[in-house]
Parts: sequence; C-alpha cells; structure tokens
Amino acid sequence: MSRKILLVAMFAVLFGVFATSMIELETLFNTYGKTYFLEHGYAETGASNLVTAILLDYRLFDSLFEAGILLIAVSGVIWISKHDVEEKNAKFMIDKYKTPDLFITFARLVYPLMLAFGFYVIINGHISPGGGFQGGAIVATAILILYYIDANKETNIGLIVTVEKILYLLIVLMASISIITQGAFFTNFFNPSADADLKAIYLVLLNVLIGFKVALGLWTIFTAFLKEGR
Amino acid sequence: MVDFFQSLTLIEMTAYALQALLIMIAFAIVIHKNNGTIVILIASFSLVTASLYVINNAPDVAIAEVAIGSAIIPLIYVISISRQREFIVLDKAMDDFIIHDNTFTGVGYILLKRFSDFYHLELNITNDPMYYKDTVSRDQVLTEQTNVDLIITKDPQKEDGYVLKGKASNILMSKLEEMVKDYDNIRLIKFKDRDLGE
Repeated sequence: MSRKILLVAMFAVLFGVFATSMIELETLFNTYGKTYFLEHGYAETGASNLVTAILLDYRLFDSLFEAGILLIAVSGVIWISKHDVEEKNAKFMIDKYKTPDLFITFARLVYPLMLAFGFYVIINGHISPGGGFQGGAIVATAILILYYIDANKETNIGLIVTVEKILYLLIVLMASISIITQGAFFTNFFNPSADADLKAIYLVLLNVLIGFKVALGLWTIFTAFLKEGR
Repeated sequence: MVDFFQSLTLIEMTAYALQALLIMIAFAIVIHKNNGTIVILIASFSLVTASLYVINNAPDVAIAEVAIGSAIIPLIYVISISRQREFIVLDKAMDDFIIHDNTFTGVGYILLKRFSDFYHLELNITNDPMYYKDTVSRDQVLTEQTNVDLIITKDPQKEDGYVLKGKASNILMSKLEEMVKDYDNIRLIKFKDRDLGE
C-alpha cells in the first residue's frame, strides 16, 4: 500500500514539474537555434540536409553514443539468446517449405532494388532526407529478405559482430581526426571556410561507416532471432 | 464547429483523419487475437505514423519509421511466431501413458492434444534414443539446449505417476499447469532459467 502511495506521490511531483515548465513555455521558447541552423548550417557543414548537419557535425558527440546504444543492444540480444558455441554457427534458418513460392519470387525481384535504395539513402544522406541509420536499416531489411530466398544460408555471427565493433572504432577515429586538423573534437576535419563539396567528403564517409555499422547490427539481431527456438 | 471545419486546409484534415485512424488501429491491435492480423496491424500503424511525420515536415524520421517499424519489426515477429508452431514433447516414460492399445489414446496423449489444439500448435511426440538414454539430471539441460518443449518421465515418488518437465519461461506452461490440476497422478515441474555462470 505504501508503495502505491509513493508511486502516486511521485507521479504528482512529476506532473507538477511538467505543469510549471509548461507555464514558463512562453519565456523559454525561442527560435534562436532554428534561425542559426537555417542561416549558417549549409555554409558551416556543407550539408543541405540540416538534420545530417546537426547529427554529424554540431551534435556528433550525441550521435556517437546513439551508435553505441545499438552496439549494446546487439550484445544484449546475443546474451539473451545464448547457445553453445558450436550451435551459434548452426545452419538453422527459415524452413523452406514454410515460405510461399510467390514470396520467394517477389523477394528475388525486390532484393537488388532494396539494396540499391539503401545505398542511395546512405550516400545521399547529406543532400536528401535519410542518412546512415535509415539507409542501414533498409540494407538490413534487404539482407533479411535474402534469408527468405535462400533458406540454407549460413552466417558467422562472430565475424559480423567483430566487423561491427571495428566499424564503431573507425567512426570514433574518423570523428576525432578534427583534433589534429581543427584543434576541436567531433567536427569536420576540413576547415569551416573550405568548399562545401570538399566538406561533403567527410559527411559521406561518416554516413557510409554508420550505415554499414547499423546494417550489421540489425543483421546480428535478426540472425539471433532466426536461430532461436530450433 | 462548422467554422472549425471550414478553416482546415486539406493537409490538416488528412492529419486529423490519420490520427483518428491511428487510435482505431491501436484499439484493434489490443482487441485482435490472431497473431498474423496483429503483425499486419502493427506494420500499418507504423506506416500511418510515418505519413504523419511527413505531414509534420520530418522526412528523416519518417524513413527510419518505415524501415524499422513496418519492415524489420513485422518480419522479426513473423519469424518468432513461425518458430513456435509445433509443441515438441520428449517421451521418456515409454509406456501406455501416450500409446494405449497401439493407438494414440493414452491419458497423456489426450491431455497434450487438448492443450496443443487450444493454442493451434502441432503436437510432435518423440522418443529419440539419443535423448532417451540421458539421465534425469540432464533434463533441465535438454530443455535449455534443444528444441524440446516438454519432457515426460515417470514419477519416482509415486506409483503409476508421471512428471511433466518444461521451462518456466515458456508462457505456454501456465496453461498446461492449469490443465494438469485435474489429474491426480500427473504433476508439472517448471525449470527456472539459469544465468550464464551457474
């Protein structure tokens, strides 16, 4: 009973804090950040897509931890679906007789298109909507479709996880190059006054690394699901 | 009220309609009982959410929502559901509990058939000699490392009694426990999940 009272009191305090912050919303609200990013975003980072400009340049420190969250989630999924070491590389995939022929034929048609669209979203992340995470998720879906086409496909989870970790280290290194060239952590390694096309190289490189890392991470997660329960 | 509707632009009207649809889909997900329908509903929920993101000028978030919410998550659900389509029972007792007079009319078979029909599962009874030779102490390891859902053994404490052994984390077990209560000579043992080090 006392727990319930404590819970209700906690919610009351939380609601009170929320309500008081809403009263001061008029004074707290300002458009300073919005106008700043609109005016200087393209000139400073070389990204027409301002979301990418914020993710990969202004707030790269936050993005690194976001990428780390996926790494931790992957290790959590592997830990929960623990099996014997030799069983981890077993061949148990979707049973072929359960997948309809229509789905397999359609998947064969769609698979290359999905892969191409995923890479397009990754590489064009600084120009059009999208970026490393979104493109990586699309590439991962394409790989998942591949399991429906070829039921006996074998995957080495250990190798995928190792490559993913190396890619994460590469992302951190790529983000830290700017300490040598610019004297500041986690920003573009080209000078802010450099040409926008030149600065796009850094954005594309980082987007591609993040995209591959996310694709491999999601690949590991659903491979763990495919092997579960067999 | 009429003024409110007349003041809306087409985009705003679409947004309100989509939000109403979102609430309806959310209720439908809770109400429906068929797993396949629920997976499709979850995918369509994500699709509607993604269109709302586009209306609110957030195409980046919309792409992520479509890729994760309506492609990867439904596919993972489909895989998980297709994994649990058969209920595998290992018969270590090897007497008339399952097969009575050379037909599947034993007490245990009728119980398990009722149980698996309740969940639309395919009952698969095995007495693989590879597992059969294992000792009693390995029963927990068997449920952890193989795809066996339930193990039937004779009760060492009671004459003419049987023990059903399964994993406690298997959600089907609570229903089976309820069904077993009607039988005097059958009891159910649920193995707690162990950590990696134990």
